[in-house]
Amino acid sequence: MNKHIIKAIAVKDIKSIFSSKKVWIPMVILSFILCIACPGVITYVGIHTDLLNQPSEDIEKPIQAVIEQFPAEEMRNTLSELPTLGSKFVYYFMHFMLIPLFLMTATIHSMVTASNSFAGEKERKTLETLLFSPISVYDLFLGKVLASLIPTLFMTYCSFIINMAVVNLMANKAFDSLLFLDAGWMVFMFWVIPAVVLFNILLNILVSARVKSFQEAQQFGGIMILPVVGIIISQASGLFFLSPFILFLIGTGLFIGNALLLRFITRFNQRNALFESQIH
Amino acid sequence: METKIIETMDVTKKINGHSILADVSFSIEKGSITGLLGPNGAGKTTIIRLLNGVIDASHGRISVLGKNPKTEGEEIRKNSGIVTESASLYHDMTAWDNLKFFSRIYGVNDERRITYLLDQFDLLEVKDKLVGTFSTGMKKRVSLAKALLHNPKLLFLDEPTNGLDPDGINSVIYYLDRVNKEEDVTILICSHVLHQLEHICDSYLFLKKGRIIEKGTKHDLEEKYLKKIRLLVETGLTVKERSYMGYPIEHKGQGRIEFSLSSKDEIAPLLREILKETWIHSSVITNRSLESLYFKIAGEHNE
Ligand SMILES: Nc1ncnc2c1ncn2[C@@H]1O[C@H](COP(=O)(O)OP(=O)(O)OP(=O)(O)O)[C@@H](O)[C@H]1O
Ligand SMILES: [Mg+2]
Repeated sequence: MNKHIIKAIAVKDIKSIFSSKKVWIPMVILSFILCIACPGVITYVGIHTDLLNQPSEDIEKPIQAVIEQFPAEEMRNTLSELPTLGSKFVYYFMHFMLIPLFLMTATIHSMVTASNSFAGEKERKTLETLLFSPISVYDLFLGKVLASLIPTLFMTYCSFIINMAVVNLMANKAFDSLLFLDAGWMVFMFWVIPAVVLFNILLNILVSARVKSFQEAQQFGGIMILPVVGIIISQASGLFFLSPFILFLIGTGLFIGNALLLRFITRFNQRNALFESQIH
Repeated sequence: METKIIETMDVTKKINGHSILADVSFSIEKGSITGLLGPNGAGKTTIIRLLNGVIDASHGRISVLGKNPKTEGEEIRKNSGIVTESASLYHDMTAWDNLKFFSRIYGVNDERRITYLLDQFDLLEVKDKLVGTFSTGMKKRVSLAKALLHNPKLLFLDEPTNGLDPDGINSVIYYLDRVNKEEDVTILICSHVLHQLEHICDSYLFLKKGRIIEKGTKHDLEEKYLKKIRLLVETGLTVKERSYMGYPIEHKGQGRIEFSLSSKDEIAPLLREILKETWIHSSVITNRSLESLYFKIAGEHNE
């Protein structure tokens, strides 16, 4: 393992991401809409307007139903003690429904950056030069993983901090404690998100190193959104509840998967195999 | 004293059952410039890849810098530079940033080397411009600088003059000659563009359909293939017959006659004889260009 080489590759790719408007602007816009604007608007509407407090069957019924069935007692009590339907909805949204939105954003970011780094190298025909240089394939992969992991986490954490500030500023009178500073969010942000992002990146690199073209890699990337969509649906419908402990287990499982994936990638992508399959 | 920097013995390469190289054996002297010549698809690029250990031979022995590319490729790659067919640079980065990146990859920490090479290749003024905006010739020169960053002992060039105009070709040839002399770099050039190359190569390998059909210095090859010598003489001589001194002749316009001789030894007596009668301004062997040798060799191996 050569740290200088890994760093050189990662730094070059990260610079390339942030110097290409076509890559980073969509990422920023997506983060802004899903992780800042969306929770911000919901907080504003729920707490500073009466829109959600109209006695309307359509809104009240499903929310009450979810609250009553809620598996964790503490959460159920907090929710029922909240005075207005609007604040109940905001509280519920910030605790559960925002998680999949962050997950989705991080997934998309990791796919964009990963395909920019590995498949992009192939597309620009520079992979050949790199394979002709004294870099081990392992270092190359590791540099590529970092090149995608760092910007993705950076974007995700930035939007998390801004979201936390915006939502708490608007909602500070409505709730006793600050939102997002609980075990669930912390485990999610600092354990599950890195694990998911890493998993996506490794999978993307594995696929890029196998398929011939950029398009194929992109199509495959689309499949990775499916589990996220599944979580959104189940979270929103209260089908199952991601407690901090379950989140921790999910993260751990993913990290184990990542270690296996990394081994698999380096074992089955020796320089000559990679070269013969990728360079024409 | 080990003077052979590259040696291959009976190297065979098969990809998906197709034979791409067969029984390739040759050696390259330290400090020489060797031309690897052959038509499209002959296997030139494949040979360079094998020598660098980025792909493995199916059979045979290869030794580069005394190392086996299959097991010690890393050592070979550390000590050799390559210019691949596609210039392989980052177009969204400046010339400087490209070279800076590759110097990190090759473990070169000295920025003076980058500045020196940029200067050598007349790129210092454009070092902060994006490589994407460069002409083909400029990109080739950046690639050459990239290949020389780490003071390699060996330089592999795959079609270094492809896509260049005559000026560009001349300047690349000029730089290569200098690198070879000043930095004592052994160079292997793959090409199918033959003229220009003959001025710098010490010896040649002729490759066709994955086989080495001929090899040697230009002198060796001329000895072997130049059975007839065509000598073009610029002279005031007038010949009415179809031959002179028994040598067939051909008029090539005002004051120019081409003689067909059977060996170089006949040149001096012929010229002496003409000089007794009249003046001579110049005389040149016209069928000794690399290109004519190439066609001759390729022709004899057409079965
Ligand atoms: N990875 C590969 N898979 C299948 N066939 C290959 C592969 N690499 C090379 N070949 C075949 O091997 C032959 C020799 O290829 P190579 O690129 O070495 O030729 P070349 O002499 O460099 O030709 P050119 O002058 O066109 O660059 C070609 O017929 C090519 O189709
Ligand atoms: Mg080639």
